[in-house]
Amino acid sequence: MFQAISKGIRKFIQKILQSRNENLIAFRTKIFMGILIIVGFGVAAFGRLAYFNIARGEELRKRAYSLQLNDTTVSAKRGTIYDTNGNTLAQSATVWQIVLTPNNFETDEQRVFVSQRLAEILNLDQNEIFQKTQGKTYYAIVKRKVETKEKDKVLELCNEIEEKYGSITLVSIIEDYKRYYPYGNFASAVIGFTGSDGAGLEGIEYQYDSYLTGVSGRIITARNARGVEMPFKYEQKADAQDGNNLVLTIDEKIQHTMEKYLKQGIAENKVANRAVAIMMEVETGAILGWAVEDGYDLNDPFTIADPTVQAEIDKLPETQKEKAESEALSKQWRNKAVADTYYPGSVWKVITSCMGWSEGTITDQSTYTCSGSYVPFEGARAIGCHKESGHGLQNFNQALCNSCNPAFMQIGQAIGAEKFWEYYQAFGFSEKTGIDLPGEQSDIFFGDGTGAMQPIDLAVASFGQNFAITPIQMVTAISAVGNEGKLMQPYIVKEITDTDGNVVESRKPVVKRHVVSKEVTQKVIAAMEENSKTGSAKNSYVAGYRVAGKTGTSEKKVYNADGSQQYIASFCGFAPANDPKVCMLVYFDTPLGDSYYGSSVAAPVFANIMGEVLPYLNIETEYTKEEIALMDTTADNYIGANVSEAKNRITAGGFNVIVKGDGDKVISQIPTAKSRLPQNGTVVLYTDEESMNNDVVEVPDLTKLTVAEVNAKASYNDLNVSIVGSNAQGEGISYSQDIKAGSKVKSGTVISVNFEQDSNYGSGVM
Amino acid sequence: MAEQSKSHSSRRKSSAYSNDERHTSPQNRRTPERKSSGTTTRTSRNTSTRTSAPRRTSERTRTTDRYRNENPASETLRTTATRNSSSPRKTTTVKGKATVKGKKRKNSLIYKVTKFFSIRDGLDRPFFLLVIVLLIVGITMMFSASYAFAYYNAGDSFYYLVRQAGFAVVGVILMIGISYFDYRYLYKLDKAILLVAFLLLVIVLFMPARNGVTRWIEIGSLFSFQASEVMKFAIILFYAKYSYEHFEKMGTFKYGVLPALIVALPTVFLLYLEPHYSCIVIIVMLLVVMMFIAGVKIRWFVAGGGGIVAVFLALKIFDKLQYAQERLDGWGLALEENLSTDMQWKVWQTMNSLYAIGSGGMTGLGIGQSREKYLYLPEPQNDFVFAIVVEELGLIGGVVVMLLFIGLIVRGIMISLEAHDRFGMLLGVGLMSQIGIQVLINILVVTDTLPNTGISLPFFSYGGTSLVMLLAQMGIVLSISRNANIEKT
Repeated sequence: MFQAISKGIRKFIQKILQSRNENLIAFRTKIFMGILIIVGFGVAAFGRLAYFNIARGEELRKRAYSLQLNDTTVSAKRGTIYDTNGNTLAQSATVWQIVLTPNNFETDEQRVFVSQRLAEILNLDQNEIFQKTQGKTYYAIVKRKVETKEKDKVLELCNEIEEKYGSITLVSIIEDYKRYYPYGNFASAVIGFTGSDGAGLEGIEYQYDSYLTGVSGRIITARNARGVEMPFKYEQKADAQDGNNLVLTIDEKIQHTMEKYLKQGIAENKVANRAVAIMMEVETGAILGWAVEDGYDLNDPFTIADPTVQAEIDKLPETQKEKAESEALSKQWRNKAVADTYYPGSVWKVITSCMGWSEGTITDQSTYTCSGSYVPFEGARAIGCHKESGHGLQNFNQALCNSCNPAFMQIGQAIGAEKFWEYYQAFGFSEKTGIDLPGEQSDIFFGDGTGAMQPIDLAVASFGQNFAITPIQMVTAISAVGNEGKLMQPYIVKEITDTDGNVVESRKPVVKRHVVSKEVTQKVIAAMEENSKTGSAKNSYVAGYRVAGKTGTSEKKVYNADGSQQYIASFCGFAPANDPKVCMLVYFDTPLGDSYYGSSVAAPVFANIMGEVLPYLNIETEYTKEEIALMDTTADNYIGANVSEAKNRITAGGFNVIVKGDGDKVISQIPTAKSRLPQNGTVVLYTDEESMNNDVVEVPDLTKLTVAEVNAKASYNDLNVSIVGSNAQGEGISYSQDIKAGSKVKSGTVISVNFEQDSNYGSGVM
Repeated sequence: MAEQSKSHSSRRKSSAYSNDERHTSPQNRRTPERKSSGTTTRTSRNTSTRTSAPRRTSERTRTTDRYRNENPASETLRTTATRNSSSPRKTTTVKGKATVKGKKRKNSLIYKVTKFFSIRDGLDRPFFLLVIVLLIVGITMMFSASYAFAYYNAGDSFYYLVRQAGFAVVGVILMIGISYFDYRYLYKLDKAILLVAFLLLVIVLFMPARNGVTRWIEIGSLFSFQASEVMKFAIILFYAKYSYEHFEKMGTFKYGVLPALIVALPTVFLLYLEPHYSCIVIIVMLLVVMMFIAGVKIRWFVAGGGGIVAVFLALKIFDKLQYAQERLDGWGLALEENLSTDMQWKVWQTMNSLYAIGSGGMTGLGIGQSREKYLYLPEPQNDFVFAIVVEELGLIGGVVVMLLFIGLIVRGIMISLEAHDRFGMLLGVGLMSQIGIQVLINILVVTDTLPNTGISLPFFSYGGTSLVMLLAQMGIVLSISRNANIEKT
């Protein structure tokens, strides 16, 4: 076979060579033909053809498709974010996107016309648009998020173009969405915002971006190079699948309350570095409110919210502006409650207590002596108590109420470093809580991460110094104390629903672990409740509710310009003490006002928030007799009654009465019917017009007085006072009043007076 | 001469119809005697035959002689006597009809058809059929490719089809007509045609430019043609005649190279003014092929190659290659991503051509289903029609088209090599080479192997006058075939 072939080839070559001798033309022609066909057609032409057709066919086909197919993206509507009651926190509304098809422009005249008109309508730079009309692409975005008003004008322009140049697509309008946050500056750290491309950048918007985004739809049509649909049918349509909705555990009412009082706290205490309040449902770990103040307007996240910061940046030279601005923005967006760690301070004593009780090193019989300072181990430097004279001999409850550092150093020593580290881990401080918010930071503990502590570390750690945790870790751990020792996984998204409202995913509370026994927590809660009633946490008292809490004043180890220490004032507690429902941490970073103590800065804010939230949550009140005596009631209606009859009714109710005018019948009264009237208050009755019109009283200054003094001064002026913030014992000093001193009111008007406990009362510094 | 033809016919009559004799004898007559020592005795016997122009007188004798032979009766006789093996199918039919029908046979359709394709002075049937098939396939694909372009630009999808088909009909008629004329009429027309071609190349420079180049001569608004088309033919004709006349001296510079240069240099210069670089390439290649075939010594090609490179470099140094440069800039870059806007425009046509080739796959999208033709590939009916062929008919379709062209070229060259005389040989090979070179360069351009220089694909690309000219040239090949000693079935 092979021989036959080689013989044939040889014969063929011979024949050709022979023809060379016989006929030069034929010979050379055949050589030319051979080269043309074999090398030219066979190798070069076929080779190149096959290379592009087969080897690169797939790639070229795809590229051709992307050229030939007009792929219009149909934006999916981003899901709505609701609060737990279905109030809308974030939603998307339809806006428009203006797009050019640069390839379809034929002349510069068209380019100039279109760019000029678009620049007019959309208020953009004409040159920039003109640049975009160059090139061979089919898609160049001119402007996104165009409102309907402008869109209509662009539509008119499109019609004009059609009249002028025929049916070529130069400008098109595509549906788009814009994110609106109806509450503006509200829960900004939680909700976050989206970027110009619609993707979430911060907060829930970022964390749940994939759920919220949905799937963009596409309409793919075959178009010819001028953007006109081709005669052959090719259209594929994939509808946009709108994003899922989120239902948060956040309650808009609670959130508002928290933000209101937190802002007030910041203002009153001149807090330099923002404040945080987190409220958690004890049994589930659901976050009911999460305030990081000062927040920013979610509808305008790229503007620096704080005008003073903006003013400072404006003063900077141009070169530093940009950097300063971006720094300010990232600080503004930073979710302090997960992203910043802090020394927990005396709030930590609750955790140390749990360790002690659980390990049996604290008993009902345990006593601790405080001489004003304590040497934790031999050779160590004495660590002082905040009460330099010392707390003397205390049992456990007293030690906690006093927030006595020497006592807790003793408790800590009894526990030992090893156990301390075990409980530290058990309470979830060594790990991230797993809250479904972005940016959570890890704790910073002593040593190398194995929990190894030096004796001095253990001593200061016992009262919460020199190791850093995040606020969310703290509130989760304290919540576990209120939850019979069960550590919950905190969460903020309750449900994910589809566009029709069907629940896609529903979050179930997750118990991470059982840290300490119910008995242990009961002991600790008892001490915390006593603390809130009579101890250092007195300012957290909420009338009618059994609050249990602990103050904290942590040294930041950061110093002010004058060399003084910066502090964090915090308070963490829960209510009601007998069956904790909600747990809240309030945390002020660097108060620079009159006081920096947790007891005077954070505790009143805690009390204010709880005072509104607990009734809102329909948690039953339990008033003591003393509390009832201090409670406000509402005034009855006396208008139209005989003066004598009204008088009798009022005095029978335990109130005082003042009658003004000479008439027989009551024509008006203050306080008006159904409005607030304090116990032992005074009702003013008017019997004629003249007395009513002429009755004017000047409001006296009611601040910096005791409760008794305020009452006396008010009744002297025929005014009523409603006492806010005083405890059941009627202790405290007034610090503000809702109607300003000097303003003119009618007698009998109720003036709210806020009281606080002695602001220099002991807290938990070292 | 009379003696010559007499001996010729007598040889034929007696025993010449053995196959061997048919192939060797006419060739032997034409074999050059410049290497007399090396050639056989048979060459020396024919020394005097083909040094002067082919004489129509002698040919006439031969023709009448042949007609006599073609007489079916004698054919039958002859076949039975001598040609048992060569072509039994055809001869038997003829024999059957002829014997039965008797005197009517000359008027019968069968007779006419048979005569049209008959062995000796009939057309070469494979070549004729290949031309027709290529023409039909070509026009069909041109129509398909131009469909959208015509619709959007001329408002009528059939715009190009109607015109091209009209020219094709004219062209086919012209082709058949020319095939009846003896190609040796052209022998004396070479200088006239060359002169006309030069004139046209000058005239065209004063024509209004299209796309910045002046290549078309417009007559009224209907007809326009590229002046260079005429030039291509003129040069083939000129050189065929010249080398025929001076065949023995083709080895020398004076006869082999100088006349080619004398014709080529002004042509190249005029084409450079248009500018029409692709045509320069084709004309140079054609001349090279013609010279090669005519027996010019290899060393001149080496020298010429060096000269072309030198000229090219010189042009480059003086920055006169701007137009070609612009085209060349995009060469090989068609599929690069991230090209500048400027370059995007330059490679646009080639890029879309490659998209079309890639989209076709093995079997294509189906006829009429091209997407690239919808204004993506600019002027798909012109130079890049082959890309649409591959897109619609796939790699297989593309290869089939290439095979059709190869078939045409091979058959055309076979015919030419069997031509009656050396002039016919050189003319025929020249004409077929032109097609071969043009097809090859077109495909290489379409596949981005060569720079995009504007070379059309014969039979496929739109262009009425060039199609007519092409078919007229095919007519000349057919005319050669009428006189060629080749099996025409």
